[in-house]
Amino acid sequence: MSRRRNPEVEIPELSRPITNPGLPQEGPVVEYFDDVADLGARRRFGGAMLGIPVIGWMAFFLAFPYVLLLLQSFWEVGLWSTLRIWNVQNYTAVLFGRSLAGNIYLPVMLRSIENGLMVTVLATFIGFPVAYLLAFKVRRHRMLVYTLVIVPLWASYLLRAYAWKVILGNHGLLGSVLDHIGLGNSSLSNILYSRTAIIITLTHIFTPFMILSIYSVLERVPASLISASKDLGVGRLGTFFKVVLPLSLPGVIAGATFTLGLAAGDFVAPLLVGGPGNLMIGNIIYSEFGATGDYPLGSAIAFILLVFVVVLVAISTLAESREQI
Amino acid sequence: MNALEARSSEISHSDSLGSLAVRLDGVTKSYDSVVALKGLSLDVAEGEFITLLGPSGCGKTTTLRLIGGFERPNAGAVYVAAKDVTNEPPYRRPVNTVFQQYALFPHLSIYKNIAYGLRHARVPKAEIQQRVGQKMELMEIADLGDRKPNQLSGGQQQRVALARALVMEPRVLLLDEPLGALDYKLRKAMQSELKRVHREVGVTFIYVTHDQEEAMTMSDRIVVMNKGRIEQLGGPEEIYDNPATPFVAGFVGDTNLVNGVARDCRAGRATVDLGVMGVVEGICREEIKAGDQVCVSVRPEDVSVTPMPGSPITVRDAMLVGSSIHLTMLADDTTVTALVPRGSAAMPGTPVAVNLVGPRVCVYTKVQE
Repeated sequence: MSRRRNPEVEIPELSRPITNPGLPQEGPVVEYFDDVADLGARRRFGGAMLGIPVIGWMAFFLAFPYVLLLLQSFWEVGLWSTLRIWNVQNYTAVLFGRSLAGNIYLPVMLRSIENGLMVTVLATFIGFPVAYLLAFKVRRHRMLVYTLVIVPLWASYLLRAYAWKVILGNHGLLGSVLDHIGLGNSSLSNILYSRTAIIITLTHIFTPFMILSIYSVLERVPASLISASKDLGVGRLGTFFKVVLPLSLPGVIAGATFTLGLAAGDFVAPLLVGGPGNLMIGNIIYSEFGATGDYPLGSAIAFILLVFVVVLVAISTLAESREQI
Repeated sequence: MNALEARSSEISHSDSLGSLAVRLDGVTKSYDSVVALKGLSLDVAEGEFITLLGPSGCGKTTTLRLIGGFERPNAGAVYVAAKDVTNEPPYRRPVNTVFQQYALFPHLSIYKNIAYGLRHARVPKAEIQQRVGQKMELMEIADLGDRKPNQLSGGQQQRVALARALVMEPRVLLLDEPLGALDYKLRKAMQSELKRVHREVGVTFIYVTHDQEEAMTMSDRIVVMNKGRIEQLGGPEEIYDNPATPFVAGFVGDTNLVNGVARDCRAGRATVDLGVMGVVEGICREEIKAGDQVCVSVRPEDVSVTPMPGSPITVRDAMLVGSSIHLTMLADDTTVTALVPRGSAAMPGTPVAVNLVGPRVCVYTKVQE
């Protein structure tokens, strides 16, 4: 029964259909079943079966809505309903403005992305040192520090945004403290309902994600690499820039992708702490779907935002992989 | 007076550090409440291949890390190339390390890994190319320059780690169980490879291992360590043939440790009564008086076995080991092992007489429990 002696002869056998496995006890048909290659094929099939729920889930909840959104963005809004008339007028409206009103969408979108980038940069600069300390310096109280990082995530997003309203408000925490030290009338005491307030709030909300994302990568950097660098004559600073930082880049990029995407599209922070003059693109998308009922236009705006963010992320990922070579 | 004391007195009156690569002077290191090294002194000569051998937790890796600068001693001093480096960080010591898991930088190519230290030191580019190329040639990895560490086999990574350390032209190369992660065959090959490299570059090698066979085959001198102290320091043959303590005898090669009563000790040789196993004579390093409780170390190959009906010693087990047979015998409560040629051995259960004679029989005052 040794079947692996001559693989060239076996290959045609493999492609032969299993006609009746219950038949003769001798002969190649029965032997076919204990063939190693066949077992491998069956295993691969089993693996594919296991993947079906995941693929199904992704298809239904991710791919399908996106496709729907994309299709819808090429339609048109009628009086009471969406009309399936194919055109690109939504895109031209967003990118070049409508003839009468001028362009209201693009500046808001660019400002939102700018906000997102600012939040990302701030969260990186605050998050990196914390993640670094957590991974390399904090020994005894690591669990405590780690918990302090994630505790804010236990509170609802809205609650955290509201908290900033209390802190930054006219007679809020910051204002009272400033009053006490005699800076009551400085520009600092009136931050609420400004772009600064949006950025502070979003930075606070996304920094924990940044910390966790960078920490998870730094944690896996073996201490022996840092020892090796020092052993080869490179001091602390050099070791940081040549070993620790490059190895942490994937974590930084993952965190930045997350932060940029969510911060640029946020609509809660501008609503709560931004004031009427500082709407972000998320608010506009929200009102197209919620108030105006112009689904096609909302879809188009959402898609353009998506493309902007994806391009930015692609550029940074590409730059990172270029760095690695 | 044991070997350790003999060695340290020797150190104290050789005052010139000139030809020494490394000197450890009364180094003590403790972590929290655990003492890893207890007043260790050691001189390593220029160009030597010296091995720190011992069980895990004996302090051998700590010793290496102290020389490398990754740890600071609580007491004592570390000299490298006649310079006190006790408080110098690793990057200011003329010493390089080959780490246990190689510690290659995963984000850099093999070439950049090897050039890492030179580039930082701002060595001219042409010189870097020349030196890196030369070391890659030496380690026979010249064609791997563009690969990443994760594309290399364990043996290749090992070679890269060696090249990366050697390219810095250190006075001393520290190797921390460098072959531990390799399989048996590759390890054997790398052992002779390391010896070749040592011969060719002439740098002092300080090698850490727990594998006594590896230590035996590679080293000029071996430092046997136990519980933060040096048990014995000497050439491989000396350590095997004349172990200074029962611990060394047991750790380096197989041995029988049998308790007995001393009958006589004269001119470094003692006669010991071992009860049913008769009377043996062996080398003794310590002061022994007649009537002292002593311990005798006999290598299995120095035990000869002859069948003798009515003997209180019986064969319990016989195992084939290549061309010899490994016998386990029971004499009263003591287990004795012997390595005898095939065909001469008795079957399990037979009463036998044993004769412990050989140049490697050693007598110690410390009695084994």
